[in-house]
Amino acid sequence: MSSTVLSLSNVSKRYGDFTAVNRINLSIPKGSVYGFLGPNGAGKTTTIRMILDIIRPDEGEIEVLGCKSAMQVRDRIGYLPEEKGLYKKMKVWAIISYFASLKGIHRKDAKLRAFELLEQYGLKDFANSTVESLSKGMGQKVQVLSSIAHNPELVILDEPFSGLDPVNQEVLEQLIRDLKNNGQTVIFSTHIMQHAERLCERLLLITQGSKVFDGTVDEARAIIPRRVILECQNDVAALADLDGVLSVCETSVSGEGRLPGTRQWELYVKEHTNPQLILQHCFQNGISLSRFDFTQTSLHDVFVHLVGQEAREHNFR
Amino acid sequence: MRVTLLIAWREYLENVKTKGFWIGVLLVPIVFFMIFHISTRLATATPTRYYLLIDQTGQYADSVEIAIRREHQRRVMQDFMRYLQENRSDSANFAVSNEPSNQMDQLLDDFGNDEVAALDDWLSNGGLSFALQMARPYLRAGTPDFEEPREQFIAAVPPPELDLSAPPEQIIETLRPFLNGERRLPAGDNQISLFALILIPADVNSDIVRPVTTMQSGLQNDTGPRGVQYWAGNLTDTRLSNAIQTSINNAIRQQEYIQRNIDVNAVRDVQRTRLPVSRMDPGKVAGDEQVSLADTFRQWAPMGFVYLIFISLMQSVQYLLSNTIEEKSNRIIEVLLASVTPGELMMGKLLGIGATGITTILAWLASFFAFIQLYQTLETTMIVQILDVLLGSDLIPYFVFYYLCCYTLYAGIFLAIGSLCNTLKEAQSLMMPLMMVMMVPILTMSFIAQDPNGTMARVMSWIPLFTPFTMMNRAAAQPPMIDVVGTTVLLVVTTITVLWLSGRVFRQGILRTGQPPRIIELWRMLRRRST
Repeated sequence: MSSTVLSLSNVSKRYGDFTAVNRINLSIPKGSVYGFLGPNGAGKTTTIRMILDIIRPDEGEIEVLGCKSAMQVRDRIGYLPEEKGLYKKMKVWAIISYFASLKGIHRKDAKLRAFELLEQYGLKDFANSTVESLSKGMGQKVQVLSSIAHNPELVILDEPFSGLDPVNQEVLEQLIRDLKNNGQTVIFSTHIMQHAERLCERLLLITQGSKVFDGTVDEARAIIPRRVILECQNDVAALADLDGVLSVCETSVSGEGRLPGTRQWELYVKEHTNPQLILQHCFQNGISLSRFDFTQTSLHDVFVHLVGQEAREHNFR
Repeated sequence: MRVTLLIAWREYLENVKTKGFWIGVLLVPIVFFMIFHISTRLATATPTRYYLLIDQTGQYADSVEIAIRREHQRRVMQDFMRYLQENRSDSANFAVSNEPSNQMDQLLDDFGNDEVAALDDWLSNGGLSFALQMARPYLRAGTPDFEEPREQFIAAVPPPELDLSAPPEQIIETLRPFLNGERRLPAGDNQISLFALILIPADVNSDIVRPVTTMQSGLQNDTGPRGVQYWAGNLTDTRLSNAIQTSINNAIRQQEYIQRNIDVNAVRDVQRTRLPVSRMDPGKVAGDEQVSLADTFRQWAPMGFVYLIFISLMQSVQYLLSNTIEEKSNRIIEVLLASVTPGELMMGKLLGIGATGITTILAWLASFFAFIQLYQTLETTMIVQILDVLLGSDLIPYFVFYYLCCYTLYAGIFLAIGSLCNTLKEAQSLMMPLMMVMMVPILTMSFIAQDPNGTMARVMSWIPLFTPFTMMNRAAAQPPMIDVVGTTVLLVVTTITVLWLSGRVFRQGILRTGQPPRIIELWRMLRRRST
């Protein structure tokens, strides 16, 4: 993690009056897996296109692998766009080989590499099929393989998980881990927080073109307080006076199969509060708990917390 | 350059590896061959027509019979000349020889110069049997026997119920069901359809039109049919009616000559007196200025090249548009643009599809050569010799230059259009104005070939979108040097400018989604440096 493979400083892009990306700063260390998160229309794809020099920023500077333009180092970058597409009439091996040879790999080596990747990721039997005969998910896997066939130092995957079934999502997760183990840097955008949670070391969260968070997954989780959920027949508002408890509020009971009169409470606690203390206090005060739930804050919660309102507004605009 | 060639190679393979491409390419020579084959077969396969001649005057029937037999002999002679040219033992020469060296050449020479006189000689010498005897020493060994063509017009026997001396109206009424195809005439054991009725009424001579009486007779008697009545349901086959008109008029003129004491033979000799016109070309080497058939063909050949440019361009345009739109609608374009610059992509497409176009032309030429090798007739032998003339002329370099310029110029524009559209439907509406422009040189092609250095040709040559077509069309007519150099410079400059501007539109259009731009947006694209 010694050097930076990508840095953006004050990068903006406007289309007429609409600001797609607003003064984004970013620095991605070599060998990391970096997640671009954000609601629909947040500016993730525009940012990625600017990184790749497919479109030019109106302001700011981008440095990719030590160069001012990705086109200068295009053979060292792999890219999977958000909207996937392949030449329908081409054979699977030929298309991987073609994209690899566009990236500077010799045609013979590109063909060998295509077959090697297809075997590695379970598509060997389809090597000679045409793209049009593949299912959508399989076509997407082929496109991912096309984007990494030339062993790029920087791999940018725009929504790589969309359209894949859970098994293939796992295959893709493994592929990203393989790339990381190989020392390659991976940037991917996603809506599915679990992938980001499992794979990413660092995250960028943007909404309406602006950065709202940039840091590690733990740092993201720390943004919103940890939470304990209790269910009992009693009023436990007094737990708010306990050391380490920030607030207590009653929420509506969700789900079925509870005793009549059951009430549900949410306790927000400080970062390092020991939940055992809350449990001990309940025993000592004769509070009979039917549920005690202490879970780590998920990225999903962070996402909803940070961009939920804006995303909802955006979707209904 | 490496990636440009890679893109070009992929584009090329994608097109030429499909079955559809080869079906499309081979369809042209197949259709050409079928038209050629069917038309030569149809010419000899016209059905036999049965006619009924009722001559109430008794003066003209013989003339008509003779004229119809003469028409048949003319066909026999034509077919025989063809047979002779195809099967002569020495090397065939399609151009008519200037100095006939033997009897057969003399016959061919007479036939080429004056068919009517040749026919008279043919008949007076004894027709086919004489000609066969005369030609035998000059025929190749193993030549098949000559097949005499069938008679096209045969006189039918009138139905027994018909009174030949009845008034014309009554005759028509009796024969109308036969002429309409409702009834058939008996002919031996068979039944035949009556094709035409020629009715010469008893008072027909009163209808003879003479120079003095033309106006009066035209005004006086306008109520019914005048003169010879030719009744036939088929209005398109005019050979019989023409033969009848000519023969009856010849017979009337013969009578007139006699009445006016004019020597018929003298008139005949005078009519056959002729002075040949030698067509000379001042542009040719002194002593060799006479215009041959090959020279005439060379003047018209550029039109063929213009067609070839046009057809090949239409095919290339389709590929350019459909491939670009496929990449855009499939979103392959974004992956490509992360690997190559829009300029490289555009040039790769231009080269790849250009190579597809050249492959098409080569495939057509190859099948054409195969056709003239395998299907040897008089016409194909002529084509071989004409091709020799063409390939040896300076038209080929002109064609190569104008083809490449025309392709690059139009392909640049069409690629820009393709980059702006997401569906072929959208592209079609943007293409329409350009297609109309491309049609102009095709519609004016024959006028320009007739007057290759006229005002219209010169003006059109200076309009870069028309230059390749028009200058190709003028190539054989030695256009003024100012036109050749000036239009070439203008064409090359325009092509480079169009490519440069198309590159700008392509760069911006290729990532565009939604509706194609309006004119004002397009103008902004042309002015903007980058996205």
